[in-house]
Amino acid sequence: MDLAPTISTQGLSRRFGELVAVDGVNLRVAPGQFFGFLGPNGAGKSTTIKMLTGLLAPSSGKIEILGIDLNAHPVEVKRQIGVVPEGMALFGRLTGAEFLSFAGRMYGLDRTTAAKRAAELLDFMQLADQPKKLVTDYSHGMQKKLALAAAVIHGPKVLFLDEPFEGVDAIAAGTLKSMLQGMIARGATIFLTSHVLEIVERLCSHVAIIHQTPGRSGLARRAPRRSRSRHSLRIGRRRSFRREAHPGTTVPAHRGRHAPHRSGTFVAGMKAKFA
Amino acid sequence: MTPTLHRRAQLSAIAELRWRMFVNGLRSKRGKMELVSRIIVTAAFSLGGLGGFAAATVSAWYFVSQGKAEFLAVVLWPIFFFWQVFPVMATAFTNNPDSGELLRFPLNYSSYFLIRLAYGFFDPASALGCVGVFGVLLGTTVARPALFPWALLVLLTFAIFNLVLMQTVFAWLERWLAQRRTREIMGVLFILFMLSFQLIGPMMERFDKKPRPELSRAAEIVTQLQAVLPPGLAASAIAQTSHAQFVSGLGSLLFLAAVTTAIGFLLNLRLRAQFRGENLSEAAARPTVAQAQGLQVGWNLSGFSQPVAAVFEKEVRYLARSGPMLLTLIMPVFMLLVFRLGGKGNALQHQPNFFGRVPDMVFPGAAAYALLVLTNLVFNSFGGDAAGVQFFFASPVHFRQIMLGKNLTHASILLANTALAWIAVSYFYGTPQLAVSIATVAGLLFATPLNFAAGNLLSIYSPKKRDFATFGRQNVSQMTVLASLGLQIVIVAIGVGVFAIAHLYQNLWIASVIFLGLAAISNPVYVIVLRRMDSIALQRRETLLAELCRA
Repeated sequence: MDLAPTISTQGLSRRFGELVAVDGVNLRVAPGQFFGFLGPNGAGKSTTIKMLTGLLAPSSGKIEILGIDLNAHPVEVKRQIGVVPEGMALFGRLTGAEFLSFAGRMYGLDRTTAAKRAAELLDFMQLADQPKKLVTDYSHGMQKKLALAAAVIHGPKVLFLDEPFEGVDAIAAGTLKSMLQGMIARGATIFLTSHVLEIVERLCSHVAIIHQTPGRSGLARRAPRRSRSRHSLRIGRRRSFRREAHPGTTVPAHRGRHAPHRSGTFVAGMKAKFA
Repeated sequence: MTPTLHRRAQLSAIAELRWRMFVNGLRSKRGKMELVSRIIVTAAFSLGGLGGFAAATVSAWYFVSQGKAEFLAVVLWPIFFFWQVFPVMATAFTNNPDSGELLRFPLNYSSYFLIRLAYGFFDPASALGCVGVFGVLLGTTVARPALFPWALLVLLTFAIFNLVLMQTVFAWLERWLAQRRTREIMGVLFILFMLSFQLIGPMMERFDKKPRPELSRAAEIVTQLQAVLPPGLAASAIAQTSHAQFVSGLGSLLFLAAVTTAIGFLLNLRLRAQFRGENLSEAAARPTVAQAQGLQVGWNLSGFSQPVAAVFEKEVRYLARSGPMLLTLIMPVFMLLVFRLGGKGNALQHQPNFFGRVPDMVFPGAAAYALLVLTNLVFNSFGGDAAGVQFFFASPVHFRQIMLGKNLTHASILLANTALAWIAVSYFYGTPQLAVSIATVAGLLFATPLNFAAGNLLSIYSPKKRDFATFGRQNVSQMTVLASLGLQIVIVAIGVGVFAIAHLYQNLWIASVIFLGLAAISNPVYVIVLRRMDSIALQRRETLLAELCRA
């Protein structure tokens, strides 16, 4: 029996004037998947993730997150998700603790809980040793870790990450990966974009590739279920991806090796749970 | 094969780049409106420039034709001050693109140096300064045509000096402003410097009414001192030559050239460091010391939701960490001091200034000024958030709550400033009448919601990224400048009208009643605009994010 998708799009399109950035994307991400959204630069990955998180309005199409229509109930959807957007969305003139506490309260946590989770997350992310340092003074890797901490402080069921490992050193990347894998193990769904196949291969249970094709090409016609025109999506289980996903092939979506964990809600912020 | 680098080709490519950026900026409706606003502002500057040119020409002609060419210093000093101070004071009107971005290209150092000077040359202050210098040249030439070649040489050197000095000041300011702590110290020092200038006028008024021998001696020292400074040197070089003291004239010119070279050397130090790719990252400079961290529980605002309280706390923390912003916000009290000193000086001559004649209006005036200094914050609420604005869109919070949190901060600042102003007015001028105090508060109840409503809309429709830690380089939308000034003029006009009616009927309570009536209109307007914030922000989110998240 197919599980109800955590993320679902139908005919998702976005135009910027004459430019069609995303055209007719249909997507179904099942609960518990670590979903890698792969594609070359300019293919529309960031545009898609912005639409999925309410940062950008689609020109047409429908988005449902956890079965809720994003357009009709944006606040309800945002309550359930965490986002690390392209620019990280940090407030540079706050300290890490202040920013995380602020983020927690914006996501509906009470003051004390927000402060506690902020402290735990800073500790886990190894950012707790300089509490008076402003975010603007953080290194790029530290900012990425802080952005991820802010995205998970309220224990989201779905996490959207736009190029989370870009410009991050190996040590910081290790911390980020362990947190993400911990979230998956607890039943959360992660949607990650990257243009680096290696990262997606290592982390993700499912992969989709978005890429532009010149006009309404034969590729679109060969992949009618996943792409209507200039964009093609190929979705498959990570391990079989390399073998099966040659150009023009559409692979049916499979559940990943991580079984969906629908019984409980992922709660971020507890050090013990991340370790 | 490695292509040969041609400096001329590179420079023309950069000129074309600037032109294309300007033209491409006009593609959007907002870009066109910015252009229209800029044209209006430029027209105002041009009028000022023409006035300055006429004044410089006539003055130079008069001094030289009267055989008092050394008095050219009287014209050259204002030109010098305008050229150097205006770009720092009014960066909204300046155009200094970041030449550092060009360093990725294989430019040689001399090209880079030239580009920096060229960027500075096209700054409005430089353009107007050159117009003034040209006026001096024209006036001198008309008065004594034989002086033309020499005056041209001297004034050209003077113009180069100003151009180089302006770039040197900017380059060194950049160096100090690159790091947060020094940036804030610089901001504080700058404002104190500006305040000291504002105090000079009233102080002079205060002291120059009676002949004082020590003042005359001081004036003599100042005159001698100015003669060895660049504007005085330029005037001396022309004057000495006009009096056939050619060697002295040449000496003054050489001294001026030497000063210019020395300033150029300082500029060279900075630009060379930039050219070599210096890294001014403050994160690297900070020692890594492990510090204990206690649990920081956020603030609570009774009666308001968690998100509103969180935004309020965040805004207050931002402001508290910005020395320049804090000092800007306490300007109303300093202005009261300035007016008081000026008023007292005039009073000695039985010619009190406006507030001396109408002391009732001091507190309303101070409150209006307190509202005015908030313009930067209220009309560009998201400027300081930069890329952080994405967080607001990603979080499950209604935009009206975010705006409410920000407006609460602004209102708190206004309240604090008004209270401080009341105390200062009481101290300097005597306690304001109860009717005046109530009328002023009623006036604020009318004006503040209007400001907030317009400010909230412009914050979304015309945002500009800004750095709270810098002063003098605030990037403000020209459209916002015009719109906010227009609104302030209307509000002040209404306020003056209401108080005039009250004075006419010799009953200041009338003003309170009228203001409360107006507040009954303006407050619902604010609420309506606030309620529409969610949909407006959603409609405008792309423009907002694109403007604030750009590098």
